[in-house]
Order: sequence, then structure tokens, then C-alpha cells
Amino acid sequence: MWSYALRRAGATAVTLAAASVIIFAFIHLIPGDPIYVMLGDSATPDQVETVRHTLGLDQPILVQYAAWVGAVLQGNLGHSIFYDAPILSVIADHAETSILLASLTMVWVLLIGVPIGMVTAMRHGSWLDQGLSGLAMLLASVPTFWVGLYMILIFAAWLGWLPSSGFPSLLDEGGLANLRYLILPSITLAAPNAALILRLTRASMLDVSREDYVRTARAKGIRPWRVVTRHIFRNALLAVVSAFGFTFAALISEAVVTETEFALPGIGRLVVQSILQRDYPVIQGVVLVIVVLYLLVNFLVDISYRLLDPRVELQ
Amino acid sequence: MKSGLRGLIRGAAALVVALLTVPVSHAEAAGGTLRYAAVSEPAPLDVMLTTAGVSLVIGMHVFEALYTIDSHYQPQPMLADSEKLEDGGKTIIIALRQGVHFHNGKEMTSEDVVASLKRWAQYGVRGKLLFTEGSSVEATGKYEVTIKLPVPNGAWKNLLAHLEGGPAIYPSEIASKATEKPIEQADYIGTGPYMFKEWRPNRYIEIDKFDGYNARSNPGDGYSGKREANFDSIRFIPVPDVGTRVSGIQAGDYDYAETISGDLYDQLSGDASVKVVKAGAPLFGLFFTNSKAGILKDNFKLRRAIEMAFCRDDALRVSFGPQALWNAQGSIFPPGNFWYSTAGTDKYNECDPAGAKALAKEAGYDGTPIRLLTSTNYQTHYDQATVFVQQMAAAGINVQMIVVDWATLLKMRGQPEQWDMFITHHGGPPDPILLTFLNEGYPGWWTTPEITALRKEFTSTADITARKAVWDKIQTLYYEQTPAIKVGDAYSFDIVSPKVQNLVSPLFWPVFFNASFK
Repeated sequence: MWSYALRRAGATAVTLAAASVIIFAFIHLIPGDPIYVMLGDSATPDQVETVRHTLGLDQPILVQYAAWVGAVLQGNLGHSIFYDAPILSVIADHAETSILLASLTMVWVLLIGVPIGMVTAMRHGSWLDQGLSGLAMLLASVPTFWVGLYMILIFAAWLGWLPSSGFPSLLDEGGLANLRYLILPSITLAAPNAALILRLTRASMLDVSREDYVRTARAKGIRPWRVVTRHIFRNALLAVVSAFGFTFAALISEAVVTETEFALPGIGRLVVQSILQRDYPVIQGVVLVIVVLYLLVNFLVDISYRLLDPRVELQ
Repeated sequence: MKSGLRGLIRGAAALVVALLTVPVSHAEAAGGTLRYAAVSEPAPLDVMLTTAGVSLVIGMHVFEALYTIDSHYQPQPMLADSEKLEDGGKTIIIALRQGVHFHNGKEMTSEDVVASLKRWAQYGVRGKLLFTEGSSVEATGKYEVTIKLPVPNGAWKNLLAHLEGGPAIYPSEIASKATEKPIEQADYIGTGPYMFKEWRPNRYIEIDKFDGYNARSNPGDGYSGKREANFDSIRFIPVPDVGTRVSGIQAGDYDYAETISGDLYDQLSGDASVKVVKAGAPLFGLFFTNSKAGILKDNFKLRRAIEMAFCRDDALRVSFGPQALWNAQGSIFPPGNFWYSTAGTDKYNECDPAGAKALAKEAGYDGTPIRLLTSTNYQTHYDQATVFVQQMAAAGINVQMIVVDWATLLKMRGQPEQWDMFITHHGGPPDPILLTFLNEGYPGWWTTPEITALRKEFTSTADITARKAVWDKIQTLYYEQTPAIKVGDAYSFDIVSPKVQNLVSPLFWPVFFNASFK
């Protein structure tokens, strides 16, 4: 177990180094100029060149890369051109929203996707299975921006039950109650992901339920619900856990449409905005953090296999 | 497992009930916080260095200049008290108001004004339009500054009044150390009725009422006169989605939302839950032509053919919707403005594809693609470009759209070999000299001998009647040489909660001096 973990950590470091080159190269290959965006439409070429020099963006790309990697290794992700703030603090501020949004979304996904997936698998072929599977398909097909739009209209503009947009930090006035700002966006994001987990749970349980050991358990007279929970569900969880891990990571980095629609200060929106403004240090910093997050999730998912199923050998 | 799942379900249900029972705070007491839903995050708030709209909306409340604009777009004193011209307009002596304080408590004196004007002259977006080679500014008293120019500049007061890339007055200790790089947030210190409090990226920028503000005594008129901060604070919240901005006002989450799309104008005009605020001054789209390189360089006949083929009504209808929001008229400045002129406008909106085809042939056009740079960041640019391309095709002119994002367009347009035309938009400035197509360094590079001579004639006299006569000649030349093709006047609109009262009609940007909650 420990040697496996060490080997994986080494591989992760190599992947990270390769990712840093790719991140830096791709970002600087995009055409466009942060200085023009910063100074506005009427800036003269002289002004642009002067600011470019001040920010060090006129240096050769290899010099810029070396300076960036050197700073990152010392724990300094750099300074945002636009926000005039250290990138770590910008990311931390946005990470709070993204982590809370992803967590709340996963709660809905777990509460909706897994139980209904179990029910549909157990009632395989029944009208209930057909109906709920059809509903899942519908939820997976409807664009999230459409769901979000109607969520805002109905629950914020018409009923006035929940805020339409924005998210004050939990550290701000309101504290935990500020989580209400995330209810509509998290339900919006949960809709397609719950459908995915539902179908995955259903398919995985159906596969496992056809295994010999399940038949044996039933033949031994074990109660049906116990067979489902102890023998089928636990073994079906492997695939579901993998999907959970990557869905969570994806929600942190890719929820940009929902974050934009609900004006949430999340990581996805920060990335897109930084790309549009060509705020290179922020893009590099955020993408690097996201890569680390994916690698970490991948690592944890692999380790969790062993915990879920002792038969799995980690090599 | 079973009991764990049940516990989770119970916990989540309890959380939802708890959160739903927390009242959503809508009501704002008098004073209170005005919540402004902005299209995006602003660029840095150093208004000397930026012309970005959102930055200016915020900057107008924090910073002030020596002059500002009244409701008739005429310059009026703000931090200045009075002025006198000597030496035929080459020497401008400005007396400053006394008792004006910065947000850090320091009293404003000529030292601050001189340091600010020097920084603006050196690095400001528009500084060199006033401070040309041989100009100077110096303190000639604690509350008096003197500007000396090598030649008279008729636009001097307008240049000192326009805050967009303009001469905001900062404390001398900040202005004198400031360089070409935007000043830091800690240095956002002005003399305005609101002071900068904090910037939380993608959450909000907050400005608070400045208790030490010394308002002018004359009544408010446009941006001029008495400015009173009635809100305790104003929060500028980036809300990029227009649907969310509208729903947010209806839900009571915001009090003011900027830049609503034209297709919602009729619906929102009849909605009692919001008030529509139409811009006082129009924006206009401009297709710039390349005078430095490519197929359109020096080919005024081909440019005229393009102008002739372009039907503005279609482009404006597609991009802005109801006719209440646009006006297809050829004067660069709108009707009612001092600089409004019909000179040369007989060539505007001719909408004659057959005539254009013949003229293009006469110009030697052989079907070579004309490269048009456009961006999808501004939907109206893209819509207008799409209509434009189709109309050109009907006249036998082959326009090839190059669609990029705005940051790329800004970079590409600085490289003359990359494009023949690009589209952008322009607000009506207080003085024609601020028009980008008159700036010889601006992409397009209109530097023919005729415009160079007229530009010189225009700025070298302070006589307003004489300047207006020269402006008429410039507009005529504009339609002959076509350095840019004006699409038409478009009036953006914002929406505001009915509980906000005494709102000043936006001249260039919305401002909230003197406004309050009911």
C-alpha cells in the first residue's frame, strides 16, 4: 500500500512538471494582449509597450517560464495583473464558492442519484424503472443554463424564496445562512449529474446482481434487502465512487456556465474571465491548482478502491 | 449503511428547511447600500489610464477633475473655482476651490493638481492631447495653477473635464510616484463624494460615503454642481448574465442593473417592478478602415462604395431591436448636441448596392477579400458585422469576417498587415478632438495631409464658433475619405428599482450623486 502510494506520488510529480510546461506554453500561444484589455480601447501603442515592460511581459518566454516555475516552487503563484492581488488569495477567495457549490451539488446528487438508481435496479423493467430512467434521461438532456434560468425566475423573481444570484462568503455577515445563495445553483448543477449517477448506479447494480455470489447469497436465504445492501450495492459502488470523484473535480473547475448565470465568484468563472482578460498569472495559477486537484482526486479514488474492496490489489 | 443514508437525508432536509426560513434581505433603509449589477469586473480604477466603462462608472464617484460636464455636455468647474486666459489662450490660470479634502483627510492644493496633471501629461490616455511638446503646468499659488501651452488649444476645458482616461486629481504623494502602471488599490484616493473601501474579485467593489466631502453650492446639473452622497455605500457587483441582472432587480437582489439587451426593452418598459433608464448620449458603432496597409489604403473610392452599400436600418434593428433605442443619422454627434452637424451626411445610409457595385468597379476592385476583424464579446459588433457582410455581398464586395475574442482583436488591430477593417464602438465625447478616428496613433491611422491640416486648425483656436466651423469641414472630409463608417446612434438602457429616486439622467455613465432610496 505505502510503496504504491509513493510510486503514485512520483508519477504525479512528473505529470505535474509536464502539465506546467503545457499550461505555460498554451496560455502564451493564445493571441491577444492583457495590456490593451487593461488600458482600454483608446490606449496608444507607446503606453501599451511601457506597461508591458513594467510587467515583464516583454521578456523572452523561456525567461518568463523559468521565473514562474521558480516562484511556484517557493509557494508563490504570482500576482494578478488585473486584481492587483496575490494569486493564492484570489484562488482561495474563489475556491470557497466552488468547493461549497460542488459539495452541496454532490449532496443532491447523492440523495437523488444513488437511492433512485438502487430502486430502478431492483425494480428493473417495471413501470417505475421506465419512468424514473426516462426522467433521468430528460434531466441529463436539458441544458443547465435553461434549468438555471427557470430556477431564478420561479424561486427568486416570482416566489422570492431564495436569492437570485451572488454569494457572500460564509465569513461575511449572514454566516452559514449564506448557503441559501447556493441552493438554486447547486440544484441546477445536480440535475444532469444526478441523472448520470442514477444511471451508473442502476447499470452497475444490475451487472453485480447477475454474479454467482449474489445468486448464492439468495439461495442461502439471506433477506433480499440485505443481499442488495451488503452484496450488490457495496460491490457496485466501485464504479459509482470513481464517477463521484471526477464529478466533484469537474464541478469545481467546469461549472462556469452556472457560475456565470448565478454570478457566483467561483473558480470556473475566474478561469474564463482571466482568459478573456489575458491575466496570464491567474490562468497559470488556477490551471495548475486544478491539475493538482485532478491528480489528487485520481490518487484518492485509486486508494479508495482498496478500502471498498479488499480483493483489489494495488500495484 | 441504511441508517447512515437516512441520517444524511434527514440532515440535508433540516439544512434546506433552515436555509429557506432565513429571510431574504431585500429592504433597504434610507441611506443603505445601493447594489449595482455590472456587466463585468472593471479594469483597475486608475481612471487616468483606462477608458473601460465599468471602471469609469465607479471612478466617477471616487475621483474628480478640475472640470466636469453639465446636462448640456458643456464643461463646468468642479475642483476649479474660476479661470482666466492670457497670451491669446496660451496661458491658462486656474483658481482652485478651497476647503476640498481628499479621502485621506488632506486638503487639496495646487501641489496635488500639478502632480496629477504632470502624471496625466506623461502617462494618461488623453494627456498628450493637451500637453504637447513645450507645454508646462506649475503652481502659482497655494490654490492656483498655471498651464502654459505652445499654441492655444480650444479643447482645453473639455479635456480637463472628461474623466475617461482623463485628469483626475490625486494627492501629490500618490500622483508623483505613480508611473505608467495603474496605481495600487490602497492609493485609490480622490476627492469624490464616495471613497473606495474594498475590491473582492468577482464578488463586489464597495465604495462608502465620504463624510468629509465638501460639495459645491450651485445646484446639480448633469455631472456638475452639488454632489450629495445619500447612500451609505454602493456595491458594484459583477453579474455577467443579462437575464440574471433583470431577474435580480425583479427579485430585489439589486437596485440598478446596467446594459440590458434591446429585445427586453418593450417588455420592461411596461413592467411596474422596474424603471427603464435610457442613456442620455448614444454610442455608435464604427467600422474602421485601414489607412496604413491593405486594399483600402488610399482607395477612397472603394471605401465610398462600401459606405454606399451599407443599409444602417437593418444593422441597427438586428443589433439593438426596437426603434426607440436607435437612430440612423449621419452626424457624428447626436441632434441637440453643440457639435451636431449635417455636413457631408448626404453620403450616409444611401443604401444603394447597384451604385456601390459600379463605384467599386471604378475603384479597380477585383473581388479580393476585405478582411473584417470582429469580436463576439460584444454581441452588437458581431450582429452588425454579419448584416454588413451580407449587404456587401449584394454589392459584389467580398468581405471576409475574422471572428476573434476582444483581447485578440485589440492586439491584431495594432498590426496593420492583419486587417482591412475592424468594428468597435464609440461614445459621444464632450469634444471632437477626443474621437478616436481623429487620433493619428489609433488603429486606422487617418493621417492624410487634409485631416492633418484640419486637425491643427481645429485645436489651435479657442473661439468656439470658429472651432464649430472647422468641425463641419472635418465631418465633410470624414465622409469623403471614410476613415471609419458610422453605423448609427444606439441608446443603451439600464433598469432601476422603483425605490430609487432622484437619479441623474446618465450622460456618459450612470451616477448616483443626489439619488437616494424612497
